[in-house]
Amino acid sequence: MYPQTKPQTAREAGLIQCRTCAGLSHPPAVLGKHEVMRCPRCGAKLRLHEHNNSIEVTWALLIASALLYIPANTLPVMSYYSLGAGQPDTILSGVFRLLGSGQWPLALIVFAASIVVPLMKLITLTFLLISIQRKSHWRQLDRMRLYKITEHVGRWSMVDVFVIAILTGLVQFGNMARVEANSGSFSFAAVVVLTMFAAKTLDGHLIWDITRQEERDK
Amino acid sequence: MIDYSSCVACQECGQLHRYNPVAPGKTATCQRCGSVLYRNRPHMLESVLALTLAGLVLFILSNWLPLLGLRAQSIEQEFHLLGASIAFWDGGYHVLAALIVLNTIVFPLFELLALLIVLLTIRYRWEPSLAIVLFRWMRELKPWGMLEVFMLGILVAMVKLGDMATLIMGTALWSFAGLVVTMTAATSLLEPFVVWRELGRDKRVPTN
Ligand SMILES: [Zn+2]
Ligand SMILES: [Zn+2]
Repeated sequence: MYPQTKPQTAREAGLIQCRTCAGLSHPPAVLGKHEVMRCPRCGAKLRLHEHNNSIEVTWALLIASALLYIPANTLPVMSYYSLGAGQPDTILSGVFRLLGSGQWPLALIVFAASIVVPLMKLITLTFLLISIQRKSHWRQLDRMRLYKITEHVGRWSMVDVFVIAILTGLVQFGNMARVEANSGSFSFAAVVVLTMFAAKTLDGHLIWDITRQEERDK
Repeated sequence: MIDYSSCVACQECGQLHRYNPVAPGKTATCQRCGSVLYRNRPHMLESVLALTLAGLVLFILSNWLPLLGLRAQSIEQEFHLLGASIAFWDGGYHVLAALIVLNTIVFPLFELLALLIVLLTIRYRWEPSLAIVLFRWMRELKPWGMLEVFMLGILVAMVKLGDMATLIMGTALWSFAGLVVTMTAATSLLEPFVVWRELGRDKRVPTN
């Protein structure tokens, strides 16, 4: 499939590729320590390849969200008070409550968005980071696809946060019924936001770049 | 230093390609990872402009029509988007008010207006510096505007409320659904490659 001449990447050609607009530019000969390089086409911040700290930042965000994942799933996210009696719900028991009321399509959506997606994101990003650090040659195309999926589905996990927020606001009928957001919901929102940042900071090009570097070293 | 003016780098993997125009309706893909490099879509800018204008009309309708009706213990209430947000803010539900306003008003309106300005700038060859800044912000903020996720949240909340109160779907819910569809269509139709090329070309005209 590849042409005879070895295909080049922007990095190998000594060019900087803007991650916002894909524009190419030459890096400056010298760059001061506190100088910021900007894309000549769109004005977004550029970073030299040597200054690429994508792996470290992604690890930090990933570990933070993995730690927060525990309270997010064990603490109650929402309490429903009816006639003074409270009934706290965790994310999982909220899914079972939907299931119990016969709403299995919605239970499935919430289960996928709130439990499957965050867990899959944590596992996938860990796997991608380790495989990049081990300079793995293994199925780069599939790993890139996995990364793209992870990046795009993450936002749907916010649905439970929105549900809790909407319910707490809508249900204000004196002491007949009351819905309260609990600490678990804040941990959960933090997990979603942190994993979204982690997916954004992970540099997808590294899946390919390291392989190239290795191929040339051989 | 190599000449890179005719080069296109794959946004997903960094592979360099020489730019070759493709036939109308055809797509150029990365030879290494298969991602889309650029597409030749006839009348792309006009179609996106039409969708943006339709989106603005739907946006106004969504904010003007009642979003939800709530009936509980013989009390009936109607919620408009902005009215509800202000009521929530006054009632101490600041996070909720901020979430609603950001996701249903600020992000969609910013995206629609930015897109409108970008498209008009290309169409009428206006000075592009504002359009460049707006388009960059639009691309960078894209993942944080969660209108469709918020709509799903309303749906789930309605079902969960089922036994406490009756929620009545307002007409705004339908125009919102239309807005989500219109904006999704505009996003998938839009060719960032063409937009950046056009915005860049305008910039160079006066200096040449
Ligand atoms: Zn750029
Ligand atoms: Zn590629």
